Amino acid sequence: MEHFGYLFGAYSIIFAVIFIYVLFIWRRQAELERELRAMEERIKTLKLESTSSAAKPMEK
Amino acid sequence: MGAFAAILRKDLRLEIRSGQSTLALFALSLLIMVVLVFALDPQPSDRAHDAAGALWVALVFAGMLGATRSILAENENGCMRALTLGPIDAAALYGAKLTGGFIFMAIAELAAVILIVLFFNLEIGAALIRLAPPLILGTLGFAALATLLAAISGRTRAGDLLLPVLAVPLFVPALIAGVKASEAALLGLPLAAEGQWLGILIGFDVLFVTLGALLFEHVIRED
Amino acid sequence: MNSAIRNGLGWSTLALMLTSLFMVFEWVPTEAEQGIVQRIFYFHVPLAWVAFAAFGIVAIAGVFYLWLKDQIWDDLGYAAAESGMVFCTLVLITGSIWAKPIWGIWWTWDSRLTTTFILWLLYGGYLMLRAMADDTPEVARFGAVIGIVAALDVPVVILSVRLWRTIHPAVIVTRAGEHGLEDPRMVVTLLVSLTAFTALFAWILMLRFSQLRVRSRLNGMRREAALIEAAARDY
Repeated sequence: MEHFGYLFGAYSIIFAVIFIYVLFIWRRQAELERELRAMEERIKTLKLESTSSAAKPMEK
Repeated sequence: MGAFAAILRKDLRLEIRSGQSTLALFALSLLIMVVLVFALDPQPSDRAHDAAGALWVALVFAGMLGATRSILAENENGCMRALTLGPIDAAALYGAKLTGGFIFMAIAELAAVILIVLFFNLEIGAALIRLAPPLILGTLGFAALATLLAAISGRTRAGDLLLPVLAVPLFVPALIAGVKASEAALLGLPLAAEGQWLGILIGFDVLFVTLGALLFEHVIRED
Repeated sequence: MNSAIRNGLGWSTLALMLTSLFMVFEWVPTEAEQGIVQRIFYFHVPLAWVAFAAFGIVAIAGVFYLWLKDQIWDDLGYAAAESGMVFCTLVLITGSIWAKPIWGIWWTWDSRLTTTFILWLLYGGYLMLRAMADDTPEVARFGAVIGIVAALDVPVVILSVRLWRTIHPAVIVTRAGEHGLEDPRMVVTLLVSLTAFTALFAWILMLRFSQLRVRSRLNGMRREAALIEAAARDY
């Protein structure tokens, strides 16, 4: 079983790197979904505000 | 054709009027050669090999600094936008910028060739003439590449760092072919030896000049 | 529908990977000359295949982006470039680890390694562009151009490097697999492993791609919010 260390090392690195990349994607996903919900709320609020202020008479 | 000539004439006139360019280019080539000589301490036995390498190092570095000048100059005062708003064909603009860059590099390379003859004790003769095709083709290829890339890197932060990062890997095939062709020329090897490398250089040039002409408009457009 | 495909891919990848690992470590015979280290080959080659395939996707996405101007193509290209970079890096690392016991050196400029290294540099250039300019509106166009140019350069790289190394061959001879696999079980193992990595790549690509789509949507919404705010202020 000579050079087993190399074989084991190579395969470990493959799985480690792929795992880290998938983890990176996973973590960003939670962040993004939070931002997305916040943004959806904000746009809803903004739309409501702009329609209500449009209903107000213009100040002169 | 008119647009191409007009822009080229403008760029050349600007360079000539500023007056310092030729001298600076010669100095640049000289300095690159000096660094290489002290860094590599070339042995007389390997003259052709080392000289060919040094020549192409000078080409690449002179190219990165020089080939992009005419493009980057347009970024000042919003000149690029002015050019794109006019009726000028993007391919013609690309051709003019490429030619300007080529001329710039050619001047630097002339100095470099003189220097390698001196520093590496090369014989003046047929070998030097055979050096011309790979040099011309390589310069054209690099200018074609750099003109397109500089239009991109010029519009990004730290663009002057980005340009070599993009240009060097893309230029590798021409670099390999150019150095090997130059070495074959200097060694006086049969034409076939140089020929196969020249084939790669020609292919490279055709590819990149065509790509540049086609893609340039996408790169200079602002919207 | 999308998440169904994604999950399906995920589970298939897992199954294929486990099968592949079993085959590589338990089933396929040991190669005569190199010993067990040669088994790195069964993952090293698929990694390279995926790295090159991803590059093709970056280029094709670039063409579609310049043609159709839809952000979705830029998101695909960016996702493919990232994944491709990951796999390309692994090709180089596993190649190096394989080289050390066989050839005694960590690196050599043979034609395959050199070409893969250039590919890695090209990926690096693309990603550096994205890193430095991602907030500018034109970055998608720039990325598309770079992707196309780089992909078309790759065949020229392969040609020139191969010629470079034929005239001055590296001292080292080629490794197993380059001149035919002796045992049919080796071929089968390689094919299974190839399938496993294609599935893995497709899965990872989908993950990152849908994430970038969300990001693009967010950017669109930010612009929308800014417009609404600006309009409201004018009252």
